Amino acid sequence: MDTKENGENINAVSKAGNLSAGNNSHNLANHTCEGCGRSDLAEQERRRLRALEVVAQLSVIGALLCFIGVGVTYWVGGQNQFLGGFLAAGLALLGIGVIVIGKYFMPQGPFVEQRHEISSTVQQKQLFEEALVERGGSAFKRRKFLGVLMGASATMFGITFAFPWIRSLGPLPGKTLFQTWWRPGSRVVTVHGRPVKVDDLEVGGILTVFPEGHAGSSMSQTILIRAASLPITTRKGRETWSPHGYLGFSKICTHAGCPVGLYEEQSQQLLCPCHQSIFDVLDGAVPVFGPAPRPLPQLPLGVDEEGYLRARSDFLEPVGPGFWERTTA
Amino acid sequence: MPYHKKLIRMLLLPALLVLLSTGFAVISIYRNGSFAARTSLVSTGTSVSTGASQAGAEKSNTVSIPKSLIPEGHILFIENCSSCHTNTGEGSYRGPNLVGLGAATVDFWVSTGRMPLSQPGIEAVQKPSRLTRQQTLAIVAYVTSLGKGGPPIPKVNLKHANVSEGQTLFALNCASCHTITGSGDALSNRSFSSSLHIASPTQIAEALRIGPGNMPRFGPRTLNHKEVEDIAAYVTRFIQHPNNAGGVGLGGVGPVAEGFIALLIGLGGLMLVSFWIGDRQEKEESRDGH
Amino acid sequence: MNSTGYTNGKLAGSVDWMDQRLGLARIGRKIMDKIFPDHWSFMLGEIALYSFIVLVITGVFLTLYYVPSSQQIIYHGSYLPLRGRRVSEAYASTVNLSLNVRGGLLMRQMHHWAADVFTAAIVIHLCRIFFTGAFRRPRELNWIVGIILLILAISNGFTGYSLPDDLISGTGLRIMFSIILSIPVIGTYLGFFIFGGNFPGKLIIPRLYIIHVFIIPIIIAGLLGMHLGLLIYHKHTQFSGKGRREQNVVGSPLWPTFVAKTTGLFLMTFAFIAALGAFIQINPIWQFGPYQPYKISYAVQPDWYMGWLDGAMRIMPSWEWTGFGHTWPLEVFIPAVALPGLTFTLLFAWPFLEAHFGKDKAEHHLLDRPRDKPLRTAIGAGALSFYVVLFGASATDVLANFFQTSLNLVLWSFRITVVIVPIAIAFLTYKICKELTETPYSGQRKRAVVMVRSPQGGYNAYRADPHPDTKAGQVAEPVPIEPESTQA
Repeated sequence: MDTKENGENINAVSKAGNLSAGNNSHNLANHTCEGCGRSDLAEQERRRLRALEVVAQLSVIGALLCFIGVGVTYWVGGQNQFLGGFLAAGLALLGIGVIVIGKYFMPQGPFVEQRHEISSTVQQKQLFEEALVERGGSAFKRRKFLGVLMGASATMFGITFAFPWIRSLGPLPGKTLFQTWWRPGSRVVTVHGRPVKVDDLEVGGILTVFPEGHAGSSMSQTILIRAASLPITTRKGRETWSPHGYLGFSKICTHAGCPVGLYEEQSQQLLCPCHQSIFDVLDGAVPVFGPAPRPLPQLPLGVDEEGYLRARSDFLEPVGPGFWERTTA
Repeated sequence: MPYHKKLIRMLLLPALLVLLSTGFAVISIYRNGSFAARTSLVSTGTSVSTGASQAGAEKSNTVSIPKSLIPEGHILFIENCSSCHTNTGEGSYRGPNLVGLGAATVDFWVSTGRMPLSQPGIEAVQKPSRLTRQQTLAIVAYVTSLGKGGPPIPKVNLKHANVSEGQTLFALNCASCHTITGSGDALSNRSFSSSLHIASPTQIAEALRIGPGNMPRFGPRTLNHKEVEDIAAYVTRFIQHPNNAGGVGLGGVGPVAEGFIALLIGLGGLMLVSFWIGDRQEKEESRDGH
Repeated sequence: MNSTGYTNGKLAGSVDWMDQRLGLARIGRKIMDKIFPDHWSFMLGEIALYSFIVLVITGVFLTLYYVPSSQQIIYHGSYLPLRGRRVSEAYASTVNLSLNVRGGLLMRQMHHWAADVFTAAIVIHLCRIFFTGAFRRPRELNWIVGIILLILAISNGFTGYSLPDDLISGTGLRIMFSIILSIPVIGTYLGFFIFGGNFPGKLIIPRLYIIHVFIIPIIIAGLLGMHLGLLIYHKHTQFSGKGRREQNVVGSPLWPTFVAKTTGLFLMTFAFIAALGAFIQINPIWQFGPYQPYKISYAVQPDWYMGWLDGAMRIMPSWEWTGFGHTWPLEVFIPAVALPGLTFTLLFAWPFLEAHFGKDKAEHHLLDRPRDKPLRTAIGAGALSFYVVLFGASATDVLANFFQTSLNLVLWSFRITVVIVPIAIAFLTYKICKELTETPYSGQRKRAVVMVRSPQGGYNAYRADPHPDTKAGQVAEPVPIEPESTQA
């Protein structure tokens, strides 16, 4: 681009809207400062712009070096801090350069543009209505029944086509939420499938257990606590549920379903790590604090002649958080 | 405004950015411990636990304490413990009975600095122990001589421990209280699960066996000796020296801390940038001020 | 000048070819003349836009490594504590891309930080729009688009957070399943259909994946286009000031000033996210281990934009209700379903509520100063503080541990503050706004008051001229940007 063209361009722009970089200084000069002459101001402005130019240049050079740094760091192994550090510094320096140019070397205005009317005129509205209703509806004007039929078939398409989008997504709940894999006589096993014997836990010990054959099952997970060496009656009717002081509670919180794995041995409480519901172990894991609404269901336990812990039955109520059908079964 | 003032203002932001990033870089490198050899830390831990072991006890999994330490232990006990636990260790209203407590329990409470209390009646908290290893063992020797019972001090050898087994056991048994990063958290009613960042392998093993405070007890039939060693190895190698490849670990307390950073540094910083780029127009003054 | 009408030879070649097909010169000039207000608070939405761009750039990289599968495999990667463990393919691939792919960790951390910044920028942008009344006619539709974008951003944050299938995100999914179960009548079916069966199932990870990388991003991109299109069509709002009227927009032109500034802001957004990704670790899933339904870590919280829901669930009393033969898990439904439902309904409805009750249905292009609308500002500040308290409540355990105080006490204080603080803040804000509007010269730069004694002995006080540094005195009269031909 030669200088002649350049000059013409600026000229053209100025004519069209006073778009020149000098606008900024013009504004400053407008504001009179007593005691300093016009030429002083111009000199100050010139020096200011020069300094800013240097800042922009240095930033962009810095950015270039940083991006080379990104490449080198990547090549030698891509250590996260150096890779990201160079990237961030490079982008920031480039950003600073661009912002300096935009903020100090480009026309700043203020410029103004007029808004347009948003609402249509009365005539435009009438024309719109005419096209929509008269022209568009002419075919159906005396064929109302056809319109109804078309609407009906479109609706039917919408409904039937939605079937797979809803029903095929998953199985019906059925009784899934009402039962676990615990059966009368199920041996109590660890997560590795090792059966638990009656002297495996010391008093004050805990273990996450499952019914035999279902180690790792989400619904059947149970927290086994040995709260004492003798049977504990947590509730009336549960006299035989805790041989040798072993208590089994569903590990699924009745609030939001998190595993209640936090056992406080001294205060005999179970705490849910998600929302801090607290259950009183010796009182049948009734919630004493926090948002959980119901006790953790207790698993009736027994010991066979070989000394293995066994479940007497499944939990007597659905485990886990509440749901709509919970009380209907 | 004079241009140099504007210049200073303008350079302030990049300078801050550079400062911040250098700071974070230094911290993250420090926290990563990339300059410190991780293995050396582990081996010192091991040597502590085996340091006191005696020749005859190499084969077994417990540390035996020489009887010769009992007299020294007696003196130390009188000086440090007897005001609450009485001279015979039978306990008073101030402190529980120690007779028959077992070596692991005494060693854990003393070596973690929880005992002796700095003053009677306050909650026992972890602090640097002011007793040497020898003095601690002497006290253990004295107390165990008062009566039999309780678990012995486990001898932890991390050489053949499997950290992968340790991780899975930790996630199942320990993370629910101590958090998965081992930073500890608040339990009910002003009790706390302690941070695991300064525990030695022996202390970890002792804690598992004795269940101090609110902690449940993990007996040898729940976690065998090998499994205890696996957990101790995982904690000392990867909880205490986590692989923070991504930078500053934020104490491992999870997304709340991350959220604060995102809001303060991320959004806050970008708002400052916008503040620089954009206008801060002041309201046009009304001219009716006369 | 040649036959094409261009002086510049280069333009004559390439641009004229386009012009003959698209009328580029006419449209181009119009676009370049578009005026953008210079006030800094107008850039908050841009931060969100640019964070989204960073999200797309980094996210595409992540999809090249991530495997959306719950299939259990044995981990054989480089991270020792996981070797030989059964983990899902999703988890293994995320650990692999974090620790073994060069630059992968940076991309993953930037992606996560960008998500946090994205939602934060949307919220702060929403606050600016709300407190200045920029949602009023004709911009209600754009407000609604914006709220939908916020909901989508939060949803995509949650789905993305859940993808690695690590211990903490798996717990989050478990809670989400329970939340869906809590919905009366349809909850159980909804939960089973979404998760493809009972929790955990094998289908949720692939489903979340397609939602996270395709469905929601596409909708976000489309709505973003609509958001910006409406913005261009309506033109910007502006604060009142010299030469600024309802009928015009004052600021800088798109080309070149705004383009330079906004490119700078894009680079800075990218830079900040890169710096966070480089130096501050986020979600180190290798430390958390794989998710198993029976494993749990303490101190689990969701990302910050979901934190308010978690906080609400924590402080909610245990109000399960059994009635009409059914269980109503209100202790979950109220904080986790009804609260966000109500929040977003109110947000959608706000422009219409304000127009209806404020009896102001006129078109507005000049913004309010927040103090001039004390009621709106007070309600906004009160509501904001409500959510801030809820966010704080999602860290009850961490706070109790940090301050070594009782967990129960912390929880109870949140239960109380969540009621008191919003009311107090709203009341105070109202008072402050009233005070500010009624105090003369408030918010303006101080000016000396000069006392002059007249020759007769009387005193006369007047305010001196503004200080030369004061910008108000310097504001130039805006000049038109359009070429004369289009103005006529």
